[in-house]
Amino acid sequence: MYAFKYAKAKSVADAATSIAADPDAKLLAGGQSLIAAMKLRLSQPSALVDLGNIADLRYTRIEGDTLVVGAMSTHAFVAACADVRKAIPALAALAGDIGDRQVRNMGTIGGSIATNDPAADYPAGCVGLGATIITTKRKIAADDFFGSMYETALEPGEIITAVSFPIPKRAAYIKFKNQASRFALVGVFVAETPAGVRVAVTGAGPGVFRVAEMEKALSAKFAPESVANIKVPADNLNADLHAQADYRAHLVTVMAKRAVAKASE
Amino acid sequence: MSHDDFHGRLEDDRMVTGSGTYSLDWDFPQAAHAWFLRADRAHAQIVSIDASAALAHPGVIAVLTGEDLQAAGFKSLPVLTIPTRPDAMKPLLPFRPCLATGKVRMAGEAVVCVIAETQQIAMDATELVSVEYKELPPVVDALDALKPGAPQVHADVPGNLYWDYDDGDQAGTDALFAKAATIVKHDLYNHRVIGNPMEPRCCISEYDAAKEQYFLYSPTQGPRIQAAMVAKVLGVPTDKVDVVAKDTGGGFGIRSAVYPEYCVTLLASKKLGRPVCWNGSRSESFLTDNQARDFICHGELALDDKGKFLSMRFYMVANNGAYLAPTGLLSQTRSVTSCITGVYDVPVAHARIKLVATNTAQVAAYRGAGRPIMSTMLECLVERAAIDLDMDPVEIRRNNLIRKDQFPYAMTNGTTYDCGDFEAVLDDALAAADWKGFEQRRAESAKRGKLRGRALSTYIESTAAGGIPDEAQLRFEADGTLSLFASSHSHGQGHETSFAQVVSRVLGLPMKTIKLRTGEAGMRVGGGGTGGSRSMVSFGSSFFLGAQEVVKKGKELAAKELEAAPADITFDHGEFSIAGTDRRISLQNLIQKHQGTHPHPLDSSSANKYGMTYPNGAHIAEVEIDPETGVTDIISYIAVDDIGNVITHALVEGQMQGGLTQGAGQIFGEHAIYDRESGQLLTGSFMDYPMPRAVLVEGLQIIDHPVPTALNPLGAKGVGEAGCTGALPTLSNAILDALRPVGVKHFDMPATPQRVWQAIQEAKAGRPSAMLSYTLEYA
Repeated sequence: MYAFKYAKAKSVADAATSIAADPDAKLLAGGQSLIAAMKLRLSQPSALVDLGNIADLRYTRIEGDTLVVGAMSTHAFVAACADVRKAIPALAALAGDIGDRQVRNMGTIGGSIATNDPAADYPAGCVGLGATIITTKRKIAADDFFGSMYETALEPGEIITAVSFPIPKRAAYIKFKNQASRFALVGVFVAETPAGVRVAVTGAGPGVFRVAEMEKALSAKFAPESVANIKVPADNLNADLHAQADYRAHLVTVMAKRAVAKASE
Repeated sequence: MSHDDFHGRLEDDRMVTGSGTYSLDWDFPQAAHAWFLRADRAHAQIVSIDASAALAHPGVIAVLTGEDLQAAGFKSLPVLTIPTRPDAMKPLLPFRPCLATGKVRMAGEAVVCVIAETQQIAMDATELVSVEYKELPPVVDALDALKPGAPQVHADVPGNLYWDYDDGDQAGTDALFAKAATIVKHDLYNHRVIGNPMEPRCCISEYDAAKEQYFLYSPTQGPRIQAAMVAKVLGVPTDKVDVVAKDTGGGFGIRSAVYPEYCVTLLASKKLGRPVCWNGSRSESFLTDNQARDFICHGELALDDKGKFLSMRFYMVANNGAYLAPTGLLSQTRSVTSCITGVYDVPVAHARIKLVATNTAQVAAYRGAGRPIMSTMLECLVERAAIDLDMDPVEIRRNNLIRKDQFPYAMTNGTTYDCGDFEAVLDDALAAADWKGFEQRRAESAKRGKLRGRALSTYIESTAAGGIPDEAQLRFEADGTLSLFASSHSHGQGHETSFAQVVSRVLGLPMKTIKLRTGEAGMRVGGGGTGGSRSMVSFGSSFFLGAQEVVKKGKELAAKELEAAPADITFDHGEFSIAGTDRRISLQNLIQKHQGTHPHPLDSSSANKYGMTYPNGAHIAEVEIDPETGVTDIISYIAVDDIGNVITHALVEGQMQGGLTQGAGQIFGEHAIYDRESGQLLTGSFMDYPMPRAVLVEGLQIIDHPVPTALNPLGAKGVGEAGCTGALPTLSNAILDALRPVGVKHFDMPATPQRVWQAIQEAKAGRPSAMLSYTLEYA
């Protein structure tokens, strides 16, 4: 780790001011990606602005037909929250299976989606449920929020404050874990939402993506066999030590099938 | 022996409450901190090193390069040599420097050491050192390295061949092969793994100028052996070096070695007049700890027309890496071939192993140290014979086992098995595994869409007693406790409990009053360290004999107290008595009468050499594959092992669990992968290198089948590595058994989901051997 300055923000406004003053400063949410990168000297921020003391960013609440999750809600908090477990059990299960116990007690939903690791779980949950990302400046549809790996629609100084999830009729997330890191080698989130069926895939490509052909087939009939023969092209998928692109493409189909089966339980 | 004296390990309270003392827990507030600049490429000439900016950095105390070590008279890091036949090629032992000079030969090789007031400053300053390199092409694959025109790793190792090792009787073997009705051949690749003890490599080094004494606080398996290796590099007598350790966070063989950083920081401490701490990172352990396996294996089995084995022959190519580690010769040669034909009645066999230099980390002893190479080769070859010849996998083995009445059993490679009952062990395993009920279980798995496989494998291994006499000292202290001294240091085995148990059972003293001390400054006891599954066999036996010596001395003291002749005194349950009378005195009482005298009249010691023992077993695994994802689960694993007399089953079970899990870790995913173009290690962190998890090995069943050996007074055989030696072939064969019905003929490990799935796709496409990495011809 390189030396850096550290400040605890008292409020979102305070954090926005601090981050605006120093272009090399970074926001610290749960730190589960950032701190690891800093320890390996792969990341060298001049300063960290810690959002950890801002209590009013940690909440979940039902607002009509949506579930709103504060940006600094930890994965463990979301997983255990009665509102989430009742309204969107698939989201609670997703949060409860991120990383390990230590990661879940530190990592946050805001930090996860702002980082947009290509193998992270929350991007699949956000896109799969058709969520809206709420920031200090605007509201962004999840479909427009996530870019390629580690890229988002966030502008410099823009801070995520909450994520709003439409409550689906049914949903499920199934991931195939990388044997070593336990990140998603392929994760598929399937939901039947008020706005239609959505299928979001994480881990397989450079960023989260939807599978239109599966969504169409599931709209016609929400059953595992509807997606069993739909293959995604391997061309743009990740290929690495752990999985070749054709294997990832195959797993998208298998995980989608299993997610539909689980959502149908 | 009774086993009711086991109530958990003596060391466990310390371990589970976080109050162990690992290397960096020793308190040296005045220590300076070292950090190493490491080669960022696998093969290059060092044109120049400029450390001036680092030296000018505030807080930097010193910078050391290879030239400084040369000036200090540093010798090569040592290699333990082994006896060779007079006519055979001698191994080539190129100089292995502690800091690279002239050339870097592997990514991660230490080049410069920066010493500063804090670790942070040392790390910052290391980035200011500039090294100008002239790139050389790297070679990381052993067969590539043997090709004409391959990049040469060492100028004095022509053709990258460290050693062309030969064992057994080639002419006799060839004659038997000429008579064979059938010859079965099999190829496999036993891939490279990284040990990953919990405690990364690290040290605190201190030089005491007044005593001219070096103190190294580091993880260790044997303080005195390690001290001897450090002394060789420093060019001082062994007595001038103390390796100090209390707790060592895992070793698996790789913490038995001396490493460059230990010697460099000792020199730095001498130069600076203050202790030097090196807090090595996990990344550095990944890159530069001794690595393991990486054997390309070819085996041939000659059979007569009744399925009787006539002979076996092997050709293997071992990737030894950029340098020879201390155990880099032994673990790659004689440790592989000592049990050359396993549990089978095949006295004549031959093996040739080429040890090859490449631009990768050094490869050496790691749980099993060569024996898992042979057990895997042998049992996969026998399995191949059963498949190719359509013979029952149990009967082909049973019909060729060495029978109970054939011991001692001598082979032409010089190995003699002293005892065993291989068929009884096999039968126990078959019974425990419900061998005959398998087809029903396979059908049940198939109903759920799963591929079930099952395999039986046998193993036998030599455990490394012998060598130098292993010494045990027993000293009665002023506080009433009994100190046990030995140089066999625990790195997780539970020595404090098991040696205390051996002594307690002889003397009848409570376990809690017996303290094992193995890594203290100033301690001088003879013998080896912990390694090669030798500690109970050798040190345990020496403690047993030492405790008997206490009884003998006690009888003389008791005779004086009871006014009788020593010959009339008997000892039982901690009490001396005159035979046939009620006149008695307890050992405790005798100890107390002389408490505080030094030496105490009951102090004793024993130092002996003990013969190699041959633990063996039959293991049966059942696995289930999800063909849709390639995920493979172990459904059941039965291990029946003859490890001689069992001192404490719970500790034996712990060792077997550890060994089996380590074997399963290799089979299901652990894999050190180097990039063939750049020579970089691609699996240098836990993000890319999968360690086994507890769920992988649910449902292990470990069954003792002791056949006591007469080679040591405990009748014990080694157990530390047996699980690993048995697990590799058993799991390999079970996975292939599951894949065979879908057309897979060869499957090299590891059985990662991707590779298993790929094997199924390749077989469907008519390529049943696509997952075979290499093929060799016996020559």
